Amino acid sequence: MVSFIAGLLDATVQAATVLLLAGMGELISERAGVLNLGVEGMMLVGALGGFITTVLTGSHWLGFGVGILLGMVLALVHAFLCITLKSNQVISGVMLTLLGTGLTTFFGSGWVEESISGFPQITFPLVGQYLVGIPVIGEALFRSTATDYLALGLLVVVWYFLYHSNLGLEMIAVGEDPEMADTMGVSVFRLRYLAVLIGGGFAGAAGAHLSLAFSQLWVPGMTAGRGWIAVALVIFAQWRPRRMLVGAYLFGLLDALRIRSQSISLTLGPDAPLAGVINPIVEFLMTPQIMGTYPYLATIIVLVYAVIRTKSDQLAVPSALLQSYSRETD
Amino acid sequence: MNVAVTVDAREDSPAWLAYGTPVFTVLAALAVSAIALVVLDVNPVAAYRTMFVETLVTEFGLSETLTKAIPLILTGLAVYLPLKAGLFNIGAEGQLVAGALAGTWIGLNVSLPGLALVPLMFVAAAVAGGIWAGIPAYLRAKWDVNEIITSLLLTFVALEIQSYLLRGPMQGGAGNFPQSDRFSEAATIPELFGGVHAGLLAALCMVIATYVLMTKTRLGFEITFVGSNDEAAQQAGMSKFYVYLLVFVVGGAFAAMGGISEIAGAQGRYRAGFEPGYGFTAIPIALLGRNSAFKVMLAGLFFAVLFVGGSSMEVAFGVPAALVEIIQALVILFLITAEFFKSYRVGIDLKRGPAETPAHPQRGDD
Repeated sequence: MVSFIAGLLDATVQAATVLLLAGMGELISERAGVLNLGVEGMMLVGALGGFITTVLTGSHWLGFGVGILLGMVLALVHAFLCITLKSNQVISGVMLTLLGTGLTTFFGSGWVEESISGFPQITFPLVGQYLVGIPVIGEALFRSTATDYLALGLLVVVWYFLYHSNLGLEMIAVGEDPEMADTMGVSVFRLRYLAVLIGGGFAGAAGAHLSLAFSQLWVPGMTAGRGWIAVALVIFAQWRPRRMLVGAYLFGLLDALRIRSQSISLTLGPDAPLAGVINPIVEFLMTPQIMGTYPYLATIIVLVYAVIRTKSDQLAVPSALLQSYSRETD
Repeated sequence: MNVAVTVDAREDSPAWLAYGTPVFTVLAALAVSAIALVVLDVNPVAAYRTMFVETLVTEFGLSETLTKAIPLILTGLAVYLPLKAGLFNIGAEGQLVAGALAGTWIGLNVSLPGLALVPLMFVAAAVAGGIWAGIPAYLRAKWDVNEIITSLLLTFVALEIQSYLLRGPMQGGAGNFPQSDRFSEAATIPELFGGVHAGLLAALCMVIATYVLMTKTRLGFEITFVGSNDEAAQQAGMSKFYVYLLVFVVGGAFAAMGGISEIAGAQGRYRAGFEPGYGFTAIPIALLGRNSAFKVMLAGLFFAVLFVGGSSMEVAFGVPAALVEIIQALVILFLITAEFFKSYRVGIDLKRGPAETPAHPQRGDD
């Protein structure tokens, strides 16, 4: 039981890092008013680019950097289409996911056989070597890949950036009311470009973490919908970094649980009252595929709840999300 | 010298742009994708020859194309119709899956003669797809919840349920594969001609019905009106709620028919992952054909050629069929780029700008 929980926690941390990295990028982009549905494609490009670089050079960090860069390249296309050309953000995003999937399947087919040594595991800086001995949670929390800790560190940076720096606050303003921001002298175009590029970089990083640390191999389509879960996560977190931390670990736990759900038994004993009714329901709800629907269903419920509650003036969705901005008055 | 780029909104776009754009974008996408072929050491001319010519001149290629076109046209309509009302249905994939599952269940569990069973399967599929599409539509119409996000998220829910059913209650056939039992003769859509099943008739009927609805009826006018200005439409006494619900539910039913006709006509049984994302390809199809239901049909045929040609190219040259995805994406990315030039006039001014009036002499022009 102890080793089961330790393994579960370890898998949760790994799954959560992917979602956290991709989700933070999406959050920044959406906060500036640009929905990026190309995350899945950007993650794949980052995963393949990072993997190839690591195979060729043997350096994980170089691979991680290339992954980030490639994510940004794809994001630049999105930014150009949505911001400069004022195209529809949904179409551009979906097509970039398709493009990223196509490109990585096309060029990545020769790299499936290759293998790498995983991203080295480290103990948490300073205190890790003492805490790693804590039973059950020690190994999972204090001995991980550096990118797991990097993601957590970046979350703090993102939170501080958005709420406590001028640039971040300007970015939020651009996503809420671009006309007003423009009047105040904030460059809407420049900030949106920046936000989308940062978002692409995060998505690329999430992909590189996936292929370099999580799976340690390359398979076409290996993101398996995690990019879409990241989009859901932002909504689930209601565009707030701190809630995103909770959401990422919750969705990560679900991901880790569904692989192991066969070995968990939550059913009542045969003599318990109502066992005949409750047990089939519990078994159904614990099926891996049914568990796979939970993140999406939870997100829809949160979204509906948030939108209904918006009537009371709470922030739900960045007001200018999906709206392109142009200065000319017509 | 100062180079300034000016962007002005066009009053109206010239006719040659309107007709030339789709052709131009397809050619540009093919040209760029050729680079990918060259990288893999494949002669693009030979590859495209296989892809298009052999698909269009051989009997096998044509029959495959028409078969693939059936779900593509129907899902294309599923995106097209809501688009007319100003809504974005990017969940056609989920509606297709929901419908196909319901239709398959009827096909496997009800015994009726074929003439009654196949239509019943279509009705069941349409109801399931309509309900699946009705959820985002209701949320949008009632509370203004973004239908793009909810229809997308519901797609992944549908895909998980598909996987659950085909590994659990609906699993059948030999081995432990995620697939259903084979359909009986009665549950199979009969062949129409040369290997093409009768689902083609359903697709054609829906194209005509959509065309008539949009151009000849009062309801079609209301849909267009709500799509172009929902507030004015409501002032004029039209019900946005009703229109939103209607276009989505009917659209979902279209996508579902596409799903069941592919399974009961072409596949013979439900396999998990039986289709390469028709519901997502529907988005480019609806965009290319957004001016009329018949153009949706043409766009559906074009993408069917791409899919079939992509597979023959994979066989002949060993090139991953993923090239088709690249081409698809590029077609649309170029199309939305071209949209910009259609609605804006871009000029480059070479003139002496006021800022350049030399306050101090400039060293060398570059």
